[in-house]
Amino acid sequence: MTLHALNAAARAAGLYRGQSHADACAILPALVSAPAEPERDLVMLKRLALWAERFSPSVAVDARVAGHEGLLLDMTGGAHLFGGEAALLAEVRARLAAAGVPARLAIADTPAAAWALARFTASEDVIAPEGKTREAIAGLPVEGLRLEPEALVLLKRFGLKRIGDLYGLPRASLARRFRGPEGLRVVERLDQALGVLGEALTPERPPPAYRVWSPFAEPLMDMAGVDFHLPRLARALSAQLVQAGQGARRLSLIGYRVDGRTTAIEAGLSAPSASAEHLVRLLRQKGLEHLDLGFGIDAMMLSVGKAEGVEVRQNTLSPPFAGRGQGEGASRRILPLRKDHVTRTDPSPCPLPTAWGEGSADLATLIDRLQAKLGEGAVLRPQARESWVPERGETWAPAGPEAPEAGFDLGRDRPILLLERPEEVNIPVTELPDGAPRQFTWRRVQHQVVRAEGPERLNAEWWRADPHASKPARTRDYYRLEDDQGRRYWLFREGLYAREDADRAPSWWMHGVFA
Amino acid sequence: MDLSPTLNAPCLAPDLYPEVCEPLEEVGAARPADAAAALAFALSRLAQNESGDDPRPWVMATTPVWLRERGRPFARGLAGMGAAPERLIWIRAAKEIEALWALEEALKSGAVAGGLVTAEQPAFVMTRRLDFAARAGGARGVVLRAGPALDLSAARMRWRIAAGPSAPAQFDEAAPGPARLVAELVRRRSGPPGIWELEQDDETGGFRVVPGLADHGLAETRPDRRKTAAV
Repeated sequence: MTLHALNAAARAAGLYRGQSHADACAILPALVSAPAEPERDLVMLKRLALWAERFSPSVAVDARVAGHEGLLLDMTGGAHLFGGEAALLAEVRARLAAAGVPARLAIADTPAAAWALARFTASEDVIAPEGKTREAIAGLPVEGLRLEPEALVLLKRFGLKRIGDLYGLPRASLARRFRGPEGLRVVERLDQALGVLGEALTPERPPPAYRVWSPFAEPLMDMAGVDFHLPRLARALSAQLVQAGQGARRLSLIGYRVDGRTTAIEAGLSAPSASAEHLVRLLRQKGLEHLDLGFGIDAMMLSVGKAEGVEVRQNTLSPPFAGRGQGEGASRRILPLRKDHVTRTDPSPCPLPTAWGEGSADLATLIDRLQAKLGEGAVLRPQARESWVPERGETWAPAGPEAPEAGFDLGRDRPILLLERPEEVNIPVTELPDGAPRQFTWRRVQHQVVRAEGPERLNAEWWRADPHASKPARTRDYYRLEDDQGRRYWLFREGLYAREDADRAPSWWMHGVFA
Repeated sequence: MDLSPTLNAPCLAPDLYPEVCEPLEEVGAARPADAAAALAFALSRLAQNESGDDPRPWVMATTPVWLRERGRPFARGLAGMGAAPERLIWIRAAKEIEALWALEEALKSGAVAGGLVTAEQPAFVMTRRLDFAARAGGARGVVLRAGPALDLSAARMRWRIAAGPSAPAQFDEAAPGPARLVAELVRRRSGPPGIWELEQDDETGGFRVVPGLADHGLAETRPDRRKTAAV
């Protein structure tokens, strides 16, 4: 058993990571220890990373070096929003302290330099001035370069203890000395720390395309507050979107809790929209009560995860339009210049054809609202598929505002209701073994067949035979039957007598009901 | 109590059949097995006085119980009924109250031409809401009920549908012909109730009244068609 992590008091007593637990207990008999749970640590770190998105849209979890896990925030061009770098560090520290998270913070030009400064300096908050990275990290131990243990041992043997010791050495001989991959790493890591070589951060979540955010002086404790501030955020977001000519397809509302966690609700849109009212209505529909406010949230962010270009269409040619300037939610207005409109002398409002854009936006709004409440798989539109097997001939896809293309052949001999899966039917009598049934029993009710039409033979689609099925699919013979009550049914017999799959008797199935 | 209309009941004159669809109507199946006939009738009511090129879609909100018992809408069969499946939006609600809510929202939005909902026992308040929504959105709604209903409802017309023996098929005597059903108008706000026998029209796929005695229906419409051809 070795030590995995220590608090400040234990470190002050001289314990270190990797020390055996028995040694540590000998040095410090009062040591309180608990089993290490690296997976849960990582989960907590990721949760903290989402929370840290309040400071920067791009937050990476850095867990490459065991024992030195942390977060990297890309603050490029963002520190002034918080009143400068010193104020930023103070705010981060205060908020983390409020959430009970001890932290060491550093700001530098490169991620590698910030990494080293946060871990190997005596003071808790470090800011390396811009362009002074070289001097700032010169005094740090070589561990600050995130090197492999073998390379560290070798460096120590050469007496190279500080990062600054490496500056004077010729690069070629440095690389040559440290043969193998670790040698190259020393040069590469040094270059990364000094900014000669770029280093990319991999954010925990892709940065949102558009976002607006609003901090609160006092934490919001109840839904009424969230509900009150939501329209203002939506209007600001809508303004951004309109300016860019974009519309949101995926929207999330994130609350930043005082205990260092986040809570979010998400909503999808079937068509891109930049209308503030629509976005607010959608989130309200989704249910603001799903936000878990905990001990209160001190900031709220509305972000667009996915945006698409939106084409703003004019729906009506109404008189107020001419007087109105750039209205909210309309970035480009397209005036329909149709010949009959231009040459018309009658000043009365001309009737527009009903198909002209009317309702398309309404429909997208409607579908969004239905999907937000019922789920995306609950609002469906049919799509024709090339297959003669009835249940495969159409699929139901989540609805969008555009109508699917008409691909359904007229099926006079198809039922209007299709059972979700065929139900087995008991047939005691048929005219001929291959013929239509005279009577059948379905759902424990006996039906006398008065009229029958068929068979319509639908072969199994042999090209998509299921390799896991023990038996190949069989031919279906469909019959339209009318019973003595005047109800019409669609039955099929699966399998042909004596010709197909001799060891399985053909079976009868109910598949649909006609009008 | 036998609530199903019988074929021997006197049919009213075909011109008394209400061609104009009210904002909200209620269609009930005389027996559970008549659900498909009731759905077909509801679709033909929705399509009744629709202008030819209305691009707006129509919605169908269903409950899981209804789907399990009676099956899901089959697009090719709907196409045969004259109800364009490209314009169908099918809402699979998890509960009846959600299905009713979905239809209310759809009708109110004005983005749909009409819609129907499958419901077992909609409360009077709910039907009233649907009625208002349909009026506000300029749409037509149909509540499709599983069984015959005599309770309170805001629907202006309440139908009870039973499937009937089909008309003789043109080329094959043993085959089922165009579908027929018996539609009984049980309650009506503005006018007398009645009972009609309807037959599926070969051309449009919708339903029309069988005039007078059965089997003489075709002679009534043919001269009309010739007249329009001459013009």
